Amino acid sequence: MQPLLEVDALSKRFRRAPDLATRLAGRITGGVREEVVHAVDAVSFRIARGEVLGLVGESGCGKSTLGRMIAGLLAPSAGRIVYDGVDLTAARAGAAARAALRIQMIFQDPFASLNPRMRVADIVGEAALVHGMVGAQDYAAFVDDILRRVGLDPSCKRRFPHQFSGGQRQRIGVARALAVRPEFLICDEAVSALDVSIRAQVLNLFVELKETLGLTYLFISHDLGVIEHMSDRIAVMYLGRIVELASAREFFLMPNHPYSRALLEEVPRLDARRAQYHPIRGEIPSPIDPPPGCHFHPRCPHAFERCRIEAPALRVIAPGRWSACHRNDA
Amino acid sequence: MSAPLLALDEVRTWFFTRQGVAKAVDGVSFSLEQGEILGLAGESGSGKSVTGLSILGLVDPPGRVVCGRILFRGEDLLRMEAERLRRLRGDRLAMVFQDPMMTLNPVLRVDTQMIETLAAHRTIGRSDAQQLALEALRRVGIPAPEQRLRSYPHQLSGGMRQRVAIAIALINQPDLVIADEPTTALDVTIQAQILHEVRKLCRDSGTALVWITHDLAVLAGLADRIAVMYAGRVVESGPTDAMLERAHHPYTAGLIASLPSRNRRGERLTQIPGMAPALIDLPPGCPFRPRCPRALERCRGEIPLSAPEPARTLRCLNPMP
Repeated sequence: MQPLLEVDALSKRFRRAPDLATRLAGRITGGVREEVVHAVDAVSFRIARGEVLGLVGESGCGKSTLGRMIAGLLAPSAGRIVYDGVDLTAARAGAAARAALRIQMIFQDPFASLNPRMRVADIVGEAALVHGMVGAQDYAAFVDDILRRVGLDPSCKRRFPHQFSGGQRQRIGVARALAVRPEFLICDEAVSALDVSIRAQVLNLFVELKETLGLTYLFISHDLGVIEHMSDRIAVMYLGRIVELASAREFFLMPNHPYSRALLEEVPRLDARRAQYHPIRGEIPSPIDPPPGCHFHPRCPHAFERCRIEAPALRVIAPGRWSACHRNDA
Repeated sequence: MSAPLLALDEVRTWFFTRQGVAKAVDGVSFSLEQGEILGLAGESGSGKSVTGLSILGLVDPPGRVVCGRILFRGEDLLRMEAERLRRLRGDRLAMVFQDPMMTLNPVLRVDTQMIETLAAHRTIGRSDAQQLALEALRRVGIPAPEQRLRSYPHQLSGGMRQRVAIAIALINQPDLVIADEPTTALDVTIQAQILHEVRKLCRDSGTALVWITHDLAVLAGLADRIAVMYAGRVVESGPTDAMLERAHHPYTAGLIASLPSRNRRGERLTQIPGMAPALIDLPPGCPFRPRCPRALERCRGEIPLSAPEPARTLRCLNPMP
């Protein structure tokens, strides 16, 4: 079956232009060393229609950059994004725009992602109006319907974002994304800023919408509990690369990559009372100057010579399971 | 049994704003033994941070501790003269904030800041202070502490900065540390390292700890006892295991049930309807009543404190079965 979304060797490099002093120094010493961050480094995966792929990783691993590229908010440096058979990176502007409209994104911070000077009705309805999905006479009923769908009272649509609580604002963000009838939602830490009791409400909303509207999700989070609850399959990112990709059941039963294992062991859990933590040593290295070979080797308890030299490829280790670790070759 | 290290007795911290009086902390009582770790749990606006600030006397106007007692080694911190309280802070009492840059001075080197903290509370030679600072950094698990001592805060990562802040809080071997969401902004692997080290430090040095957080899962692995706050009150408290296994208050039970867990993937999470109330003009009775599935007509009245089990407290008229 054709996947709904296919990402192929997608990369994003951020360059920092050298400042004047560095350029002058470069003139004298010969050669300026440009600082390049490989935020996303040749990442490939597929998502089937109706599936939820959970993307998990710590800060700076490139998970948000990846989400933003798929949503069309950042241009990739290399690689392809194929959505429903259309190559978004190569298609003509019109076709790409039509495909991109079917991909919508929900952001982490419900305080920063809504225009404070627009009324809720306009935040939610404007895009649909612009794209001709709704006429002026049906506009009010259309907005009411979407607000009701995300659990907001339509009578408050004349209000401004600051008059809502964090959980309600996140619902407005969801309503805005749903207004253009997307098939594919990218949720970038969509519940991280919410309180525990509110988080459960919004997670339930996501599950409900998936079932009623047949949505497909890329669910990005650093919170393994949330990822586990939502996802069919899990992708783990570390410093710009996917290190493991597996079905949620298998992943949580038996993670393969040492980094995945460490992540799973260190998540505080209600049922792990005063458990002995065996923290992985060391910090997450800077993506400007990542370690050679496997990015995880300085912190890995199993690292051997080859890990320091050669970057492991993401390879099939069992049907439907991928992992990037040299130990699987042995 | 001797008197507890810290005892809060009906503390009320109110903020006198133009819109009205916000009762951020409204009758909080709990106590803490030496070397004990108390988890203070609650959502935003529940008053858990203000409780921490009240203990250290750091509440700014328009806020004020209007009544109650905060006994530290039997002495009331609220009625202590300012100079004496100032000398206790940073020496016997210390605080760690969520954002380490609130504690660290960005233009001073780490060693300068650590030595300042030492010299403020005792007479100490420079090389001795340097040695103590080095040991403090080593204790919180900072690699290459000799180099870190000479760096500025901006040269350190977030996790390192928080460790430095914790090292500074612990450098005078205080009797009590208040930690306000110190690992919330950190990554899982870094959080695990810090939790591991903090717990070891408390066990080794007998320092008591109040760990303020919204994350019950963190407390499950860290705290000896948990107190759950809602709308300025402690609604339930008790030993960690008992609290998590048998929550009596519907709010605590709701919080635990709303956490995604391994056994219920993809199923509907139990959700607490509605949202936390505004703290201004809070109606009398139980503040959780409008969201509570077990609310009774009686809940509109005064809710007395009860003890459903030994070592536990509860403010609820219709607890979970």
